[in-house]
Amino acid sequence: MKLSRRTTAVAAVAGVAAIALLATGCSSSGDSGSGSSDEKVELTVTTFGTMGLDDLYKQYEEENPNVTIKATNIDTGGNALTDWKTKQAAGAGLPDVQAVEEGWLGQVQAVSDSFTDLTEYGANDIKDRWVDWKLKQGTDKDGRIIGYGTDIGPEGLCYNSKLFEAAGLPGDREAVAELFGGDDATWDDFFKVGEQYKAATGKAFYDQSGFVWNAMVNQLPEGYYTSDGELNVEDNADLKAQWDKLAGGAAAGLSSGQAQWDWGKGKAFTDGSFATFMCPGWMLGVVKGQVESAGGDATSGWDFADVFPGGPANWGGTFLTVPTTSKHPKEAAALAAYLTDAKSAVAAFQAAGTFPSVIEAQTDPGVTGESDLTKFFNNAPIGEILGSRAEGVVAQYKGPNDSVIQEQVFGPATQSLDKGASGDDAWNEALTTLQSLDLK
Amino acid sequence: MTTTVSPPETSSTPAAARPAKTSTAKVPFKHRVSRFDSKASPYLYIAPFFVLFGLIGLFPLVYTFVVSLNDWDLLTGPGEWVGFQNYTDELTDPYFWNSLFNTVSIFLLSCIPQLLAAVFIAAVLDQNIRAKTFWRMSVLIPYVVTPVAVAIIFSSAFSEKYGLINNILEALNVDPVMWKTETFPSHVAIATMVNWRWTGYNALILLAAMQSVPRDIHESAALDGAGAFRRFFSITLPSIRPTMIFVIITATIGGLQIFTEPKLFNPSSSVLGGPHREYQTTVLYLWDMAFNRSDFGKASAIAWLLFIIIVAFGLMNFLISRRIASVETRTSKKRTGRKLTEHNAEKAEGARAVVAAAGEKRS
Repeated sequence: MKLSRRTTAVAAVAGVAAIALLATGCSSSGDSGSGSSDEKVELTVTTFGTMGLDDLYKQYEEENPNVTIKATNIDTGGNALTDWKTKQAAGAGLPDVQAVEEGWLGQVQAVSDSFTDLTEYGANDIKDRWVDWKLKQGTDKDGRIIGYGTDIGPEGLCYNSKLFEAAGLPGDREAVAELFGGDDATWDDFFKVGEQYKAATGKAFYDQSGFVWNAMVNQLPEGYYTSDGELNVEDNADLKAQWDKLAGGAAAGLSSGQAQWDWGKGKAFTDGSFATFMCPGWMLGVVKGQVESAGGDATSGWDFADVFPGGPANWGGTFLTVPTTSKHPKEAAALAAYLTDAKSAVAAFQAAGTFPSVIEAQTDPGVTGESDLTKFFNNAPIGEILGSRAEGVVAQYKGPNDSVIQEQVFGPATQSLDKGASGDDAWNEALTTLQSLDLK
Repeated sequence: MTTTVSPPETSSTPAAARPAKTSTAKVPFKHRVSRFDSKASPYLYIAPFFVLFGLIGLFPLVYTFVVSLNDWDLLTGPGEWVGFQNYTDELTDPYFWNSLFNTVSIFLLSCIPQLLAAVFIAAVLDQNIRAKTFWRMSVLIPYVVTPVAVAIIFSSAFSEKYGLINNILEALNVDPVMWKTETFPSHVAIATMVNWRWTGYNALILLAAMQSVPRDIHESAALDGAGAFRRFFSITLPSIRPTMIFVIITATIGGLQIFTEPKLFNPSSSVLGGPHREYQTTVLYLWDMAFNRSDFGKASAIAWLLFIIIVAFGLMNFLISRRIASVETRTSKKRTGRKLTEHNAEKAEGARAVVAAAGEKRS
């Protein structure tokens, strides 16, 4: 007994010593700075969700033996935002390469000088890589490029062909695109088809109003903010017009009123609760995951159509940034450039379905060809469809509180719509919330 | 031994008489150390606590206060000095009062049934039952499970469309309850989580108190013909009052700071604490203010307001518990007095009549 207690004490001391050694080891390698290229460098990377970069880290380490990559992946974008904000506020603990989501761009741009200007590390040589609006989003008001784009989220329409056919609507993907109005698809068409579907089956058409609203806002030239950065909700006539359409759909019973990001652990995707779903590229993997977690597979009937109401829309997408706290900005920038080149973008798409913002990758056979995802969606040419959905997307200005307004102001309001509140009541509710939150 | 030591001492005293003044100024180093030791070491022994408290208790408290007087953004840092503006803003903010209402409501919904159940369970465990240790350990198991796991399991069971509880209700032809989007049901659901976790813990503490109640009081009461209920209400409950106060105070502090359960109750909700803040507690509101709305100044003001509220509750509890403690000493004085007279009476032969009279007078 005595002996064992003593050995544990010895072990504990040894452990502490080892950690201390490790810590000093780390700091000494950190202090060595970004010198010559054969020096041992450890780069930390923080990503979130499924970005499909894991295999690329290994490849990069093989190609650059002096670099070791320590990657952290945070489960959701929301948690990653909290993580980033906390560390940014503390001024310590940020990684060498930080993934940043489009939704937080407003907050990132407010502190853009705490991100390394990548033009100092060769950004100008590779800036033709990306679609221009993505590059513009990653550039701050002083013209510094602070983020390299990874994926974008062009939205197409997921629909369940079996449910469509059961309701007497066409199930074929081209015919469905035509049904919604093809290239001139409008939200009015969308809700009209929804009413037909509801009349035929008595069931809801889409899962909940929140995602539809998200798409409606994102495709406007100006969302909650004007392009000059002024908050503009109450007097934004375009916004109110979209809201009225959404309220009409909810009043007609087209929303299934599901809890977003929950969907009864996927059951709602397999029990016929709704027949359409707003699908940016990265959402396709989510749909597949939800169906599978409810025990379904490719036979559940989900398909992907090359059409989107109201014209092209983008939802989400990510950037890789290098915080100025990084001790190896040169190596970090090189890694970020590597992770966003065409080859990497194709690999990430194949691993996670994230549609590349890199122009060359968008037409790569690796993106347009077959994959597990295409098989799940009834062999839909997902890469091609997303490429065509990405055409004409305009980057909308995202203000500093964009994500807060989206979640805390219009999140509850769209839920009120789903619970039967009238459009005007829910809109007024949103305005009241906006005022109570005292956002700028 | 003594002979070898004492002669030089006695002989050196006259010689050392003259330089005595200087020697008092020059106390041997050893003595000085030991004097310093006896004077300072108590402070040194308690220093770790105060140093740690200063570092991780007092400094953050003061710093938070300074932050709360500024317009302080989480990302861009300190802005203008605004004095008590943040406090007045919060005191007029309906969301702040909403969060306080939710906190107190969840606290009452969890505290009252929990204490009743804990007292009942403790009373049952206090009886002579078989496999005592098994039952006592069993009630503690919910406490061992981490609150995160509890929250995940309960939030799935309370799910509105596909949850276990609503499925059972539907099978019984009862309308499903909106556990996550309506105020009262959500409070009940969260209180259930809290109760599930803490009832057993409190039951064990109360059980320990019950077991320290002298058995002979119970026995004599039983001999006097008091039933089990009468004994419970007249002997057990009054005797465990100080422990009850302790349990109530800890439950109050814990209840006012409730965070994990509402935070994880519906993690996919776009607003923390329910779509219309149905179950957003004050700590959740504080967290939302700091990390979603990035307003560190207001968040710090909320933290201070919560601190003041908890101190107020604590003072209230202190006053109540002091009154109860004085009641306790009064009764115990009475009890020892009674025992003394009994003792004396027993000593004095033939004075049993006096004891009987005293006993009658008292009852």
